[in-house]
Amino acid sequence: MIYLSQGGYLAIGVSLIAIFAIIFVVSFVLYKKTPVPKGCEDLLANKAKCEGCSKADCPYEKSITKEK
Amino acid sequence: MNILVSFLLAILSYSLINNVVLVRFYGICSFVGVGNKIKSAFFMGLAVSFVIILATLICYPIYYYVLVPAGIGFLDTLTYILVIASLVQVVGLFIKKYSPSLYRSLGIYLPLITTNCAVLGVVSENTASNLDFLSSLANGIGTSLGFLIVITLFAAIRVRLESASTPKAFKGIPIALIVASIMAMAFMGLGGLGN
Repeated sequence: MIYLSQGGYLAIGVSLIAIFAIIFVVSFVLYKKTPVPKGCEDLLANKAKCEGCSKADCPYEKSITKEK
Repeated sequence: MNILVSFLLAILSYSLINNVVLVRFYGICSFVGVGNKIKSAFFMGLAVSFVIILATLICYPIYYYVLVPAGIGFLDTLTYILVIASLVQVVGLFIKKYSPSLYRSLGIYLPLITTNCAVLGVVSENTASNLDFLSSLANGIGTSLGFLIVITLFAAIRVRLESASTPKAFKGIPIALIVASIMAMAFMGLGGLGN
């Protein structure tokens, strides 16, 4: 067991918080930069694109029909 | 042996008797919002469970071995939020990069996990109640199991309700809330398990 002074623990605590903030920002930027996998471009129902579609098994078909 | 039995009983208690959604009222937003398709609800439950357990494992040592000795225990909420947000973001990044099928199922729900108060609630509760590591872990596992069970059951009931002849005034959210209240009463009955 390593014993540190309170100042040492404080430094570790503050740097830990800073590290997590950096991890969040970096992963957020990388997430935004990563291209969306093929076939996952339209995960939400899009009224304009879905209007001409007649796919019966589409999970969003119901919500679009409801909106109409 | 006794420790194992207490651990399993704690999981049972946190998942059924003190259910996170129906008794402690955490995570209502995703419960009502996502709980209308069984598959989505199940995957959402799985993702939340994964984040709750991981957040519990990470936040416990940070609080007891860094924040408390440093005298900055009051920064716990800020630290937990950062841990949870980073965790969800990193998990989301890996899913987006390496698992398109999982991304298709979870993609739109990932940001919802960060704002799911069940995750922050469990982690804060662990430290506020001064639970030891095993009890914290039991709380994490039990809560996630409870969330998964309840959100999937609720989705299954709502799917059946869609084809039922519900009065017009009750269609949609009103009947969903009535179902949730009946489920809460049913889960209250499980309180007898503790006696």
